Amino acid sequence: MTGAAYPNWDAVYRDNVTWVYRLMYGKVGNQPDAEDLTAEVFMTALRPLRVSATVPEVRKYLRMTARTVLASYWKDRMGRQVTSIEEDVPEVIEPESFASDAPDKVRQLLHRLPDNYRRILELRFLQAFSVREAASEMGVSVANAKVLQYRALRMAAQSGEEATS
Amino acid sequence: MSDRIVRRFADRLLRGQSTERARPDDFEAEQMKTAIELRAARLGSDAPREDFVSDLHRRLAAEMADDQTPVDHPRWAPRRRQVVIGGSVAAASAAAGLVVGRNLLAPTPTQPAAEPSTQGELEPTAGTWRPVGASVDLPEGGALSFDLGSVNGFVHRADAKLEAVSGVCTHQGCKLWLDAPESRLRCPCHSTSFSLEGATVTHQLPVAPPPLPKFQVREINGVIEVFAPTKSV
Repeated sequence: MTGAAYPNWDAVYRDNVTWVYRLMYGKVGNQPDAEDLTAEVFMTALRPLRVSATVPEVRKYLRMTARTVLASYWKDRMGRQVTSIEEDVPEVIEPESFASDAPDKVRQLLHRLPDNYRRILELRFLQAFSVREAASEMGVSVANAKVLQYRALRMAAQSGEEATS
Repeated sequence: MSDRIVRRFADRLLRGQSTERARPDDFEAEQMKTAIELRAARLGSDAPREDFVSDLHRRLAAEMADDQTPVDHPRWAPRRRQVVIGGSVAAASAAAGLVVGRNLLAPTPTQPAAEPSTQGELEPTAGTWRPVGASVDLPEGGALSFDLGSVNGFVHRADAKLEAVSGVCTHQGCKLWLDAPESRLRCPCHSTSFSLEGATVTHQLPVAPPPLPKFQVREINGVIEVFAPTKSV
């Protein structure tokens, strides 16, 4: 196998930190945890990395490390894996291929919901509205907006389950 | 309230806070997953902060420099970070086809790392002694292969002692073949070869695959037996 290798750990870090963070963020949905997990991936992975490993090998290794780090994070927090990183990746690995298909998936998911459910999820999750703002935007009470949000999430989860099974 | 776990999770998620410990059931976990996907789909939310990226760079630099100072501990002694996820890191490395070797910053020794890991003994939970051949078929210096269904391997006699090793390559599980003239066990997949004792001799992989596990082996009444998993009927 041929392929360029990274000159040092610094190059490994600069080239890969962004996609590792994005991958983690897509799996946990919040910045503090995504940062901790990204740090853990590099702390764990850089030291044992071989000097002669090629760029694709390094990326694959980082991804496998991220997979393990995420699994143990969920095991600790929830006693189970809420989200996971797929093991099988295409042979040719470019950072771009790590980008998630989340936006598409979310669009389809929202599309399957009744209007008011879709609206509350869009406002709260995608457009960063507070409950109060979302309630006033939709012309419902705050309590109502809260109930709507949780029901919408339940239905979205249900339809997501059905779509994948 | 039954959906308290999910509500609390979603509230924190929407506030950008870290995840708290909880014990959700299947459906609750599915809702959490959906919430994460929705939250992560927000435009521009998944770029790392500049401060975080440069701060982590500093921490890594310190950590790697630390590693370069003269060491009075073995390089692979577990360190704080490695302890956290313990053996699973090794599993991830192995799965990625990369096993711990020298690190990127270490002054480059030209010698390859020694044995990547110790040679384990195959110890089935439920095992029996199973015949694999007759003593007369295995002269001094010779080797023979055996296949017991659940396991296969090679047994050889050296210095009047018997030794048996697994016949499955530790890299990706290809079946080894016996190159008798060379006294090597060769892998058809990636040109890896092992000694009859199970040590990794040659390989073209980024890192040396671990040595082959050994079997317990004995000789009774002219029959060579290997301790192998009990046959499932």
